Amino acid sequence: MIRSSDESARSALPALASELERRFEAGVAAAWSERDFETLALAAFRLQFESIDAYRGFCQGRGATPATVRRWQDVPPVPATAFKHIDFVVGRERAPELTFRTSGTTLGTAARGRHLVPRASLHRHSLLPPFRAHVLAGVERMRFLSLISSPAERPDSSLSYMVGAAADAFATETHWLVDGTGGLDVVGWHTAARDAAKSSEPVLVLATSLALLHLVERLETGPASKLPKGSRVMETGGFKGSAREIGRADLHARVESTLAVPAGRIVAEYGMTELLSQLYEPVLIEGSGAAGTYVPPPWLRVRALDPMTLAELPAGAEGILAFFDLANAGSVCHVLTEDVGSVHDGRVRLSGRVRGAEPRGCSLAMDELMSLARSAS
Amino acid sequence: MTATPTPRHIADLAAAVRATSAQLKLRPSRDVIAALGAAGSRLLDPGDPIRAEALDRLPESSGLSPAMCVAVLDGMAADWTAERLEALVTAELGSADALDGFVTAGRRRSLAVGPSLAVQIVAGGVPGVGVNALLRSLVVKGPTLIKPGRGDLLLPTLFARALAAIDPPLADALAVVYWPGGSVEHEDAALAHADVATVYGADETVRTLRARVPATTRLVAYHHRVSVGLVGREALAGERIEATARDVAAAVSAYDQRGCVSPQIVLVEEGGAMSPADFAEALARALAAAGERLPAGRFDARQASTLQQARSTAELLAVAAGGLVRHGLASPWTVVLESSPQPPVPTAGRFVRVQPIGDAADARGALAPLGPHLQTVGVAGLGARLESVAKALGEVGASRVTPSAAVAYPPAWWHHDGRGPLLDLVRWVDLER
Repeated sequence: MIRSSDESARSALPALASELERRFEAGVAAAWSERDFETLALAAFRLQFESIDAYRGFCQGRGATPATVRRWQDVPPVPATAFKHIDFVVGRERAPELTFRTSGTTLGTAARGRHLVPRASLHRHSLLPPFRAHVLAGVERMRFLSLISSPAERPDSSLSYMVGAAADAFATETHWLVDGTGGLDVVGWHTAARDAAKSSEPVLVLATSLALLHLVERLETGPASKLPKGSRVMETGGFKGSAREIGRADLHARVESTLAVPAGRIVAEYGMTELLSQLYEPVLIEGSGAAGTYVPPPWLRVRALDPMTLAELPAGAEGILAFFDLANAGSVCHVLTEDVGSVHDGRVRLSGRVRGAEPRGCSLAMDELMSLARSAS
Repeated sequence: MTATPTPRHIADLAAAVRATSAQLKLRPSRDVIAALGAAGSRLLDPGDPIRAEALDRLPESSGLSPAMCVAVLDGMAADWTAERLEALVTAELGSADALDGFVTAGRRRSLAVGPSLAVQIVAGGVPGVGVNALLRSLVVKGPTLIKPGRGDLLLPTLFARALAAIDPPLADALAVVYWPGGSVEHEDAALAHADVATVYGADETVRTLRARVPATTRLVAYHHRVSVGLVGREALAGERIEATARDVAAAVSAYDQRGCVSPQIVLVEEGGAMSPADFAEALARALAAAGERLPAGRFDARQASTLQQARSTAELLAVAAGGLVRHGLASPWTVVLESSPQPPVPTAGRFVRVQPIGDAADARGALAPLGPHLQTVGVAGLGARLESVAKALGEVGASRVTPSAAVAYPPAWWHHDGRGPLLDLVRWVDLER
């Protein structure tokens, strides 16, 4: 890991972060003009440029400095992969308040990345309003049934942190129904579901797609477990990296028949460790016609870029997704993801993940090779 | 070839191919070589409709650009003539006569008997590998059933068609089939009839197959390989640097770097008239030129995404470690100079890393981690040190040391991965008196 140094930015992050927290508190419906966003984006860029050596050198190599960059779109984006090798953090003389690690890839744990978060309060301010708007959608507080590990079990998981923070803010009670390795507590599930049914209080189930599949598979062979009217599911993650994959429509049909939660009440969340804000499918607000599109909060802008030149593409054209997330003010805001999709009216539509890349031939890719060398030694 | 055959169909086919063995063994080997060479030559003949069809369909089936398909077909099919096939047999077995009767070599009198059925399972997308594989079996009078790699289905199919027109009985000793890679049912159906099995693929593919091949079946495994370049000081002066960079760029560009022979790292000696950084710049220019001459093939958004991550991450790492990154923007070639070795990231396109090295003798240490996977080392500018350096590279794990210009197309008679490709297929019968 390469650590980056910080001099002048020390005092600037708290000032910027306080301003951002104040803006985030106004919620996702608050008006953000392009100018508001740009002013804050360029202030964040200056901070990150001055504070993070590797990022500064990277930007200078592209001729981009706070003096030359006039538009947020011209701030050089950092590839998500680089989080595996470089700590992007503003104010490194203070220990980060949070450290999130990316889940392993096919390369194993040696290639896990991390996101150091200097200011937890900024993160909490960014995650709560979109969650309230898209998942609670008008309900003040709910009972949480989480199939996502608790933050106590998985302190380095950004997803667990998010669910924990949302539970602290919005849950009447929270049932953590998986252990740190994802093992499902079926007995706990039935107890919690029965209690909910008795009270008629709607519940929120939080789960990865894989956990949701495990749950319905268990429930399909056991006693009924219908949830009260008004219940909903927040689903995240798809089946990335899993050997098991079923169609989304199929999974949702099975959720409806086992939990009595219709597909229109299943809200997909799209997030990643490298971005501290999340996007949601606005199905509870706009109806199930909105399924398949993800809405960012107003402090997160997303663009689809030409896969080869990284030039911005027109609305609806498919490209590589780049996110500018002001919630990342303490690390790097502009992140180039590995995801492919299109953007329309500021909303994201993800393209189907293409499995099995082009045949590589008989050569071994260097990264695979080095992981073999590592596992052998 | 459109519908996937059932395992039952594969078993029947394997049995039928194997049934040709006795007749095939009776034929004079030069007769077999002549027929195979005649079929192979059709893929080289500019006026032949089989070659025209190959060049028409290869870009779609392989994902390589039309210009690259011409280069690859010419490079590969050069080894499919009767003359080259006989040279291969001679290099491996001493003489084609050894396939027809007992020949004396030293104090031994021996006959080489090809397999009754060689089942060959090939992964990957380098066009021509499948034809090479099937020729190795047929040239030792061994019937063969081959499952080519996904990107290499076309040429074996066309070769089989060409052979059927020239020599129908010999064509009956060849079956080209396809099933999705890793299908245990299909593999087992074929293997049940084989006395030799060859597999080209990932280490994991080899490992799983090794566990299932019957004890009496010989397994010839070509696991995944990696190749590198080594550029010595003598090549880093004056005009030679440009010529060397051109040769290395050609090696990187061939098959869009998919081959086991394709260099992924180039070690460059320090202390020459020009520095490793100068070489990296020259290599970038040469890759740009190669990209014009032999454009890259199909490149989808997913691969482009991998490439963008790799390029930008390399740029970030270069800031801290003092390297440089040059790339072709919309042309998917990339050169990364790493002043110290950097963590490898998944790459796409023609992507090569240049690493400075104090002295060629240090290559041994630098390449040691690649040991069991190391294959070709393309060399330049080593002068009188060539043999001693090659010996050290061989001790580390390399099986082929060759001039940079020759990297992409090994000769028919090379010791593929350090072994005798025909010797691996035949069984010797000694006649003692």
